[in-house]
Amino acid sequence: MPHALLIKFPGTNCDEETARALENVGFTAEVLPVALLDESSLERTQLLVFSGGFSYGDYVMSGRLARLVTQNRLGDRLKQWVADGGHALGICNGFQILSQLGLLPEASLIHNTSGRYICRWSKLKKTGKTASPYLAELPEEFELPFAHAEGRVVTPGKEAEGYVKSGLAPLVYGEDVNGSTARIAALQDETGRVFGLMPHPERFVSRAQHYDPDWSAAEQGWGHYLFLGVAKALA
Amino acid sequence: MPDSPEARYRHIPLRDLDGDALLKLSQQMKLSLSREDMLAVQKIYQEEGREPTDVELEVIAQTWSEHCKHRIFNARILHRVNGKEEVIDSLFKTYVRAVTEKIWKEKPDFILGAFVDNAGFVRLDDERAVCLKVETHNHPSAIEPYAGANTGLGGVIRDILGAGKGAKPIASLDVFCFGPPDLEQNQLRAKDVIHPLGVMRGVVRGVRDYGNRMGIPTVNGAIQFDPTYIYNPLVFCGTAGVIPISDIQKEVKPGHLLIAAGGRTGRDGLKGATFSSASLTTDSHEEDQSAVQIGNPIEEKKVADFVLAARDKGLIEFVTDCGAGGFSSAAGEMLSEVGGEVYLHHVLFKEPMEESWQIFISESQERMVLAVEEKAMPELEKLAAMFETEIFLLAKADGSQRLKVWHHDQLVCDLHVEKLHEAPRRELKATWRDVPERQPRIEVRPQSWTDSLKTVMADFSIVSREPIIREYDHEVQGNTVLKPLAGAAGDAPQDGVVVQVPGSAHLMSLGCALLPEWGKTDPHRMGRAVVDECVRQLVAVGSDPDRLAILDNFCHGNPDDERELGALVECTKGMAQAALAYGAPFVSGKDSFYNYFITEDGPVSIPVTLLVSGIGIVERPEHVTGSSLRRSDSKIGILGGCARGLRGSVFGKHALGCGLDAAPDFDEAQAMARYRAYHQMVKNGLILSAHDVGEGGLAVTLSEMAFSGKGGVRAAIERTPTDADCSLAELLFGETPGRLVVEVAPEKAEAARAAGVVFIGNATPEPWLHFSYQGTTLVDAPVNELKSVWKNGLKTYY
Repeated sequence: MPHALLIKFPGTNCDEETARALENVGFTAEVLPVALLDESSLERTQLLVFSGGFSYGDYVMSGRLARLVTQNRLGDRLKQWVADGGHALGICNGFQILSQLGLLPEASLIHNTSGRYICRWSKLKKTGKTASPYLAELPEEFELPFAHAEGRVVTPGKEAEGYVKSGLAPLVYGEDVNGSTARIAALQDETGRVFGLMPHPERFVSRAQHYDPDWSAAEQGWGHYLFLGVAKALA
Repeated sequence: MPDSPEARYRHIPLRDLDGDALLKLSQQMKLSLSREDMLAVQKIYQEEGREPTDVELEVIAQTWSEHCKHRIFNARILHRVNGKEEVIDSLFKTYVRAVTEKIWKEKPDFILGAFVDNAGFVRLDDERAVCLKVETHNHPSAIEPYAGANTGLGGVIRDILGAGKGAKPIASLDVFCFGPPDLEQNQLRAKDVIHPLGVMRGVVRGVRDYGNRMGIPTVNGAIQFDPTYIYNPLVFCGTAGVIPISDIQKEVKPGHLLIAAGGRTGRDGLKGATFSSASLTTDSHEEDQSAVQIGNPIEEKKVADFVLAARDKGLIEFVTDCGAGGFSSAAGEMLSEVGGEVYLHHVLFKEPMEESWQIFISESQERMVLAVEEKAMPELEKLAAMFETEIFLLAKADGSQRLKVWHHDQLVCDLHVEKLHEAPRRELKATWRDVPERQPRIEVRPQSWTDSLKTVMADFSIVSREPIIREYDHEVQGNTVLKPLAGAAGDAPQDGVVVQVPGSAHLMSLGCALLPEWGKTDPHRMGRAVVDECVRQLVAVGSDPDRLAILDNFCHGNPDDERELGALVECTKGMAQAALAYGAPFVSGKDSFYNYFITEDGPVSIPVTLLVSGIGIVERPEHVTGSSLRRSDSKIGILGGCARGLRGSVFGKHALGCGLDAAPDFDEAQAMARYRAYHQMVKNGLILSAHDVGEGGLAVTLSEMAFSGKGGVRAAIERTPTDADCSLAELLFGETPGRLVVEVAPEKAEAARAAGVVFIGNATPEPWLHFSYQGTTLVDAPVNELKSVWKNGLKTYY
């Protein structure tokens, strides 16, 4: 059984449902308060998960303090662990943290163009031919809920379009929901083992979680298939 | 931050003062204690044979405040109704507790706790209970909308964390009453008062930033707009929780250590309890800033994680939150039976604190107090480090029956616990005279009923709350199965919400209702109708009608005004009548008085406002029922008849003159029979969707069902059941309680008819609304034309 280690910062608040979603697809899930995190923690896991929430309140740029604390705890060991074949998944605030940690293609997640927090659902589209193994169980188009104030992906130059073409941005929104450049909703690294997305797959693992009681496009919620993809990628 | 270097307190001589001087002293110290209260305090110290310390007076003022002791609900009231006198020996005992006690006898397995703890508990399944608590934070939100609402929600979340040995917060609801958002600035008749728009934006953001950061979905709520709320906006914050049944009972025993956990103590929120027990003035906006607390949700998240982990390890004997009155009321409550010693010099500060009393009554946020066995300490310290929260020894229970507060080597407070909790009883006068029905009735015949529907649909009380709902994370925790907005596009209104509880086969529903417009003229009927609407919402979404629990939250103007208090008494009676008929126990409640303001044109009071919120048990996921049309070939039916009367209705507001007759009447026993029949139909799979008939009446209900985006509705409204000769306005826009509109698949129509459904129309593939009366078209419009009116109504303002 693959093991998932979910790091919990003060303010992380999606860890429980993310752990449940991982357990549903065969993981053993361990939520670890960051106070207990050290280099040895990485030795017992194949998947590191940064769950959603507001780490340290996100009062300075989202994910910034969590990045500093993680670097302080793990140092260079984290990058080495990834290079050695470790997987890392970041959802919402976790995506912001992974991005801050420099484990994803260069980009920033800044305030939505509306300046508001937005909680709603959106269509998502897979991009390019080099789609992530995490998305292998999902159709070309599907739907997930998202909820964030800082989900707008910006890149230094014209990289965003390039990311979409190359597949480093494996997922885009079906419409402009937050001002994200090239509608990017997710980023992954060159290896496909580090993956960050703003939408919340853990909130749509069963059909009952859809807003329309007559939704019947699949047996389970789309989020379930994303976690299933993660499990298969690790197998 | 170092602790205070020494005790700072003084003795206040009052044993020799007369009544006037005592009252003056109370005012000087801002104690909000009356002359009678001060005389009772004086008697305590005459018996003790010494003068009180300032710490003791502050503790007594907090403990006896209206906010903490609900002295108006416990008062003896001489009530004159339509000229006849009666004596009410405590509104709470007569119309709240007695109702619950009666129902409790019939449902001993369902009700697991009411009134004694931070929240009431009802059984979810064999192992778990759910609980709900709703608080108001009106005065702070008027002065400082963001911080007031922020800490309002933060406070009620702590109530749940402090319920039983610690319940897990799983959903929040928020209800607001504001002045009209389109108010002209020059209509504000007092200096420094914040415009309703500013209040609304601040309050919504305050709730958003606390709830979202805590990771508790804000799933349910309501907003009312009325000029009477300009100076006294109302902010109700509620949170529901889940707890193992075995963790409900708690007790402090001599020898227990009282451990404070969470945020540090500062000078924010001084005298919040007494401040909220007086009326607001322009001066409040200048002087009482320090009474508003400052919120820090991450601090609360850390302490929440700590408390729940400690509970799961069985380390907690008792827990409560620090709310109004701070440590003085938390420790005071925990030591109220056994007594004990408090150590102020252990308190951790976020800023220097000068006076001993400030430390004891500060309402700094995010603090919990736990009673634990000494042997649990090492494990608790480990957990605190793990979740990065601070703990310290605040007090020790000793069985002495006295509340002794030490600050270093000085005993700054030494009170007998019984005397501290024996506030003198208040005596009040109330009066009420029914507003007569106006005869003959006025018939309204607008040029276009379609335009009337648009006007009603655009009313602030009806338009979509979507701009606000989207700012709340209503899906965190992943359990919100019936969401506040649903339908094919996820943007149509629902009657209530349903959340699943991980590990349980059953689900929990939440609903809430308030009808302040009715209360202006008919508070008794408002009390009944509000209970009905909340019950009906819970039933509509699929809850078992025999497993509901409700909460009463009152907001009131000036209790010293006999007519205003009379309206409250009548409302309370109406509420009790309906709750008894529905077998829906009150498991918790709260009241907020002095919601009046002295403007340049004189005092403005809010109308008596009753919020009834409730939790229900939905037995199975298949029972969850939304309010949005699901098919375009289904039948539309109604349960419950239309009565005459438009007073208090949204239509009445816009068609001046027609709202002068009575508010519509209904019969609770018949309504309850219908709810049971409806629930049986839900269980039998006959119901596709259902929507309550509420504000705006049947025309709005049918339209809202079509906002689903799956079709239109064609209805012949003369088929609406009625005993009376109802006018067209009453049939379309009347707000008779007790009614549900249901959508039924054609193949199941017969079974539904047999169960009491009266069919009035059908869903149509074309997205059109067509309502007729005996063949004459009344309303004829595309669904989207009305939907855009409804959907965009608040957008410009929020």
